[in-house]
Amino acid sequence: MEEVSGYIGNFTITIRKKARYVDTSVCNACAECANVCPVLKPDEYQMGLSTRKAIYIPFPQAVPCSYILNMDDCLGNNPIACGKCAEACEQDAINYDDEDELIKREVGAVIVAIGLDVYDPTEMDEYGYTRYDNVITSMEFERLICAGGPTEGHFVRPSDHERPKRIGFIQCVGSRNPEIGRPYCSNICCMNTIKDTLLLADHYPDVQCSVFYQDIRAFGKSFEDMFQRSKEAGTRYIRGLPGDIEEDPETRNLTLIAENTTTGQIERHEFDMIVLSVGVVPPKDLAKISGLLTLSKTSDGFFMESHPKLKPVDAPTRGIFFAGFCEAPKDIKDSVCQAGAASSRAGALLNKGQVQVEAITSVIDADACRKCGACAPVCPYSAIKWKKGEVAVVIEAACAGCGNCGAACNFDAITMRHFTDAQYLAQIRAILAEDPQDKVFVFACNWCSYSGGDMAGISRMTYPASNRLVRTMCSARVSEEMVLEAFRCGAPVVLVSGCHYADCHYINANRQTVKRVQRLWNKLEKAGVRPERLQLEWISAAEGQKFAKVMGQMEELRKTVTKEEIEHAMEALKPKPRKAKKEKEAAAVTG
Amino acid sequence: MATMENFKCMMCGYEYQELVEEGEDKERSCPKCRSNSIRHLKNRPSGDNTDGKSKKVKQ
Repeated sequence: MEEVSGYIGNFTITIRKKARYVDTSVCNACAECANVCPVLKPDEYQMGLSTRKAIYIPFPQAVPCSYILNMDDCLGNNPIACGKCAEACEQDAINYDDEDELIKREVGAVIVAIGLDVYDPTEMDEYGYTRYDNVITSMEFERLICAGGPTEGHFVRPSDHERPKRIGFIQCVGSRNPEIGRPYCSNICCMNTIKDTLLLADHYPDVQCSVFYQDIRAFGKSFEDMFQRSKEAGTRYIRGLPGDIEEDPETRNLTLIAENTTTGQIERHEFDMIVLSVGVVPPKDLAKISGLLTLSKTSDGFFMESHPKLKPVDAPTRGIFFAGFCEAPKDIKDSVCQAGAASSRAGALLNKGQVQVEAITSVIDADACRKCGACAPVCPYSAIKWKKGEVAVVIEAACAGCGNCGAACNFDAITMRHFTDAQYLAQIRAILAEDPQDKVFVFACNWCSYSGGDMAGISRMTYPASNRLVRTMCSARVSEEMVLEAFRCGAPVVLVSGCHYADCHYINANRQTVKRVQRLWNKLEKAGVRPERLQLEWISAAEGQKFAKVMGQMEELRKTVTKEEIEHAMEALKPKPRKAKKEKEAAAVTG
Repeated sequence: MATMENFKCMMCGYEYQELVEEGEDKERSCPKCRSNSIRHLKNRPSGDNTDGKSKKVKQ
């Protein structure tokens, strides 16, 4: 995918179809070309355990079943340095002049199903993956035991091609390990290992398997039954992850040293082969796709869904849906379920023929717009179209209503329906009309911080009653003007709070909150106002305890603010004359 | 390219330095008190009372 434009129901996607250099309509997969090709390269599909030619069929079940010429591996076509494949092809299917093709498609919805990459255990040197031939990954194991694999299903170890009798499996390689930046569970590895041990027990009853694990997660339907069958088949499950692996240079056997956490003993186990049960990582194309489709990522690096419980297949950008691993690690069954759900959601959208929009979108006043374009780059959904010298336009179908553009507009040209600047200013003035010095003014985002306050309440947590919350859809809705107005009205402390980075419900809008607060700290300091009086906190809906703690901290901070400081801020932050229009509106709302 | 940047916690006042990768998108919290009120000091020398923006120098 090269380019995406448009919005829900009206996407235009540009796809690059890479040149194959083989005409699929005439290629009959006779293999004459591959037979004469002099190039040998590691076969990616076989995990480098066998070789392929520069012209090859990527894998046995490939569709279309025709050859493809990898020009990076080919000896050269300009000038032709080899040309043997073209000479050998009786169908004249080889075309060295083939070029990439750009295809445009108009689509109403997009389903993202870009899969996963497998963790490369090279960095975990203690397991000796790069040093010892007989240490392999679970993916390499799959190829070795597969009938379509490089050994045609004869399970042998790489060093001497002998059949291993003692095999050790190490779980959680690249998973549940914060030290290497991968704290998440990869979901599939436990069951994959259990399946492998059953497969080995079935094919080779004399093989002894040992599995080193920290937890076995067998929670799916019939998974526990498989786990029990694996144990009954003679597989030993030893709780504890190895710290080191040594190789006997003569026999090439491997000694694994691990603490058995059940007995508390350091144990040494000798194996003919060790299989690293590697975890999964987000696909390398994820960042590119994320940029093209304006999608956000979780802290684990996978795509973030619109809502983890209520919209688990929807992307935050409307009209885009997820299926499979790109959203989170999951097994085949869950991937199929999610794919079905995603296609249903997309189908429902397309069949409806029209889109219902929440009534909280932004509206641009064409007369007030100064054509500066400050609103367009801050929109996380690319819902604002702007060209130099032209009035910005909001695509309402794409707008999610975060209000970031409204906060970014310096000319009051953007109104967010139901959350207007005038309404906010009126709230601020009303809340701080009496005894402002006793109040902590809090802007709380609808999805996380405000709900965090609810959580603190329903959990019966106690916190000072001095806080006054104003709900915004996103923390990025809080404009500099709103914060300054609170100080002008005598607020001793202002807190802006929103979702944690990974939880932002508007892709990455809260990054603008950070920038805005940074600018405000600078402004306050310049005006001689203690910048510490403005605070920023990320509080999730589940963090009732943090909400209560922060409110306690704000109250402590409030007590340190003197009457003189408040009065100085009220004077020093007085509005500039051009704000008069907004003030009139606020006055009208206050009535 | 990573650069060493100065930060100040606006809650507890703790100042610290941290390596920042170019284009990094990371939630910051104070290493001491865990507050998210982290001010980026833009590598200005201590005692500088400017807003961190670079100033043009007259030739």
